[in-house]
Amino acid sequence: MAAQCGLKLAVSLITAHFGDLVAKVCSCLLHRGTLSLQEIIRFTELSSSQIKNCLLVLVQHNCVQAFSTPRPAGPGGVAKAVTQYMALFDNILHRMRFAKFLAVVRDDLGPQCEILLAGLLQNGRLTFGQLVERATSSKPEVSASMREGLRANFNRLVSARYVERCPRPEPFIEPSPQEETRSTRRRSAKTSEEILSIEQRAMVAAALSDAERFSEITDTATETIEVKATDHSSDVSVGDKRKYGALEMDQEVQAAITQNEVLWQANFEKFLLCLKKKACVAHVRSRFGLDAGAVLEAMIESSGQQKAKDETPVRATMDSILEGVRAKPGGISMTLEHIRVILDQLHCQSCNWGAGASYSIDLKSIIDTCQNDEVEALVLTRFGKEAYRIFRLLIKNGHPFETDRIADIAFVEKKDAQGILYKLWKDEYLDMEKVVSYAAGQKELFLWKVKKDALWEHVLNDLYHAALNLSQKIAHIVEQEHEVSQRREKPEQLRNGRMILELSLLKLDDALMLFRDF
Amino acid sequence: MLPQKRPHPDSKTKLPPLSETERVLYELIKSKQNLGIWTADMKRETGLQTTVVTKTLKSLQNKNLIKDVVNIHNKARKIYMAVEFEPSKEISGGSWYSDGSLDTDFIRILREQCLKHIERLQVATMEAIYKSIQESRVFKVECTMQQIVEIVNAMVLDKEVEELKSTGIGDFSKVQSGKICYRSLKGREGPKVGSFSSIPCGVCPRISECTPDGIISPKTCIYYNKWLKLEF
Ligand code: SF4
Repeated sequence: MAAQCGLKLAVSLITAHFGDLVAKVCSCLLHRGTLSLQEIIRFTELSSSQIKNCLLVLVQHNCVQAFSTPRPAGPGGVAKAVTQYMALFDNILHRMRFAKFLAVVRDDLGPQCEILLAGLLQNGRLTFGQLVERATSSKPEVSASMREGLRANFNRLVSARYVERCPRPEPFIEPSPQEETRSTRRRSAKTSEEILSIEQRAMVAAALSDAERFSEITDTATETIEVKATDHSSDVSVGDKRKYGALEMDQEVQAAITQNEVLWQANFEKFLLCLKKKACVAHVRSRFGLDAGAVLEAMIESSGQQKAKDETPVRATMDSILEGVRAKPGGISMTLEHIRVILDQLHCQSCNWGAGASYSIDLKSIIDTCQNDEVEALVLTRFGKEAYRIFRLLIKNGHPFETDRIADIAFVEKKDAQGILYKLWKDEYLDMEKVVSYAAGQKELFLWKVKKDALWEHVLNDLYHAALNLSQKIAHIVEQEHEVSQRREKPEQLRNGRMILELSLLKLDDALMLFRDF
Repeated sequence: MLPQKRPHPDSKTKLPPLSETERVLYELIKSKQNLGIWTADMKRETGLQTTVVTKTLKSLQNKNLIKDVVNIHNKARKIYMAVEFEPSKEISGGSWYSDGSLDTDFIRILREQCLKHIERLQVATMEAIYKSIQESRVFKVECTMQQIVEIVNAMVLDKEVEELKSTGIGDFSKVQSGKICYRSLKGREGPKVGSFSSIPCGVCPRISECTPDGIISPKTCIYYNKWLKLEF
């Protein structure tokens, strides 16, 4: 479960993009977990047609995934398949990153591809036909060559994996053995683990294979549904469906979503990977210089890693690194020796993989450093230079330190050290343990340590909170701007303020991704 | 400035003539060696009256047999110790303390010196920094290698200098490959400005009370209004 403030942020994004009604349904799913249509009706007290429309919007924009699972109707009853809807929290948050995603494609593939991607991001999922329509709506007629050009660009997006075929709309999930033996309701605090597992299973079942996801379109006329309905054989029979009104309605929702053509969507995983690469390269560049940045970039690009969350080290052969580096501006002048030195500086391990010499680097350690930088900066501004020194000492070493020892290493008066440590502890930056030493008479000692997991979670929650605050402040200023312009006053001050806030939000979101997605 | 503190070897000089109480008290104090003893403990252990103890301490001090030292844990507690001992680290706070408080001037000067020498050498090992400081006559006070190590390590924590492993070539040509060395971060990096810490919410003491429609809310937030006005 994401942090509380994260859920609030997600709901506010949905409100801003799709209005209150959709947000109400989404909020219900985010806070209560996966639900069926009937349950949503009960919790939101909206009409079923209202809810269906909201779900349509959410599914269309990849914010909700549906799956069906049988539920026993009671003793002796027939098991019926019920459609469940789950909110996709991360996909909702990605909505505030669209500008960044577009910039990635613009830099990589140019403005034509960017326009196509913009269409997909705006509409959630589209068939290629719809995309063409959108792109050519201002033109009097669509020539074959125009369509051909669009198709080429679209295929570039697909082959670079920026765009993928949508996952299966409603996979059928067999209940797991433990779930079957339980006659009580699944959803209670105790069974949260099982809920997770059924949702994860649904995600796996919905996912297409890589070959399916990124198979380019050959000819638009023969574009057919190759992927659709591959698992409908395991679905409940038509006869079963007829018995239940609710289910029928769910099918309607489904039918409206799944059109008779292949639907495409932006592949968020790829964008996150690109942004993670950008963050790592920027860090390395600022620390070791431009050339080191180029080497790391070449390594990541040639490694073929597909997911930002992938924690296995990035690996690349020397040949592919060389090739990648030479393609970068200024890279042509780098000698093999120079690259070797940089690889050593970056703590790359040489390994036996593929043909010839290869190297691996752990991006996680770079991300860790970036995360530390962010939290340390917080400590510095909130608690001052001495606290910063102490905090860095503790986070660098990872193990507990005793008060006096901390004071000695950090050059802080013992009394002051105690005060600083106490403040950090009170704000949950540190963990404290009291021990009694019998060495020289009975004496109470305090051991201090950074409890990284808990602190990181805490920071992430605050980041969500701050992002929510920033976006609300922006909305507020927009309102004010509107009022002011109606009174024909000069809105410059407000506009400048809004620009600063918008920029801050973009930067804050970089930090959010750092803690959540990388 | 801080003198070097080394425990003196036990002095075998002859004692001046002492009265009975003086002898008892002196022996007690001396037996505590470099830990010293608090006046209240003296009274308890000898059974002498406060006035007697005070008077005797004064005469022992006049005879230059004992001294009072400051206890960094409790400055109000007067501690006495025989002159031949240097207060232990627990009492004095260690080599960075002078008269019971952190010798900030000394620390500041030593930091400045370290930075200066690191910058001059560009890339330097701990030994090189120490040697360089020793050789420069500018710095009159003696310092130990250990002190330099402690100072430089604190500067690494402050991101004033960075710790690196020498590659042996380029900038590192003066340092043997594989050795740990130090380089100034001045003008290059230093503490990062975080994207969270640079907005009001990042440092806001009220963030947990702040809600969209609450008394404290982004709409009415005074921190933001101040921040944005400053930027105009
Ligand atoms: S909006 Fe204002 S009051 Fe609320 S957390 Fe941010 S700085 Fe604090």
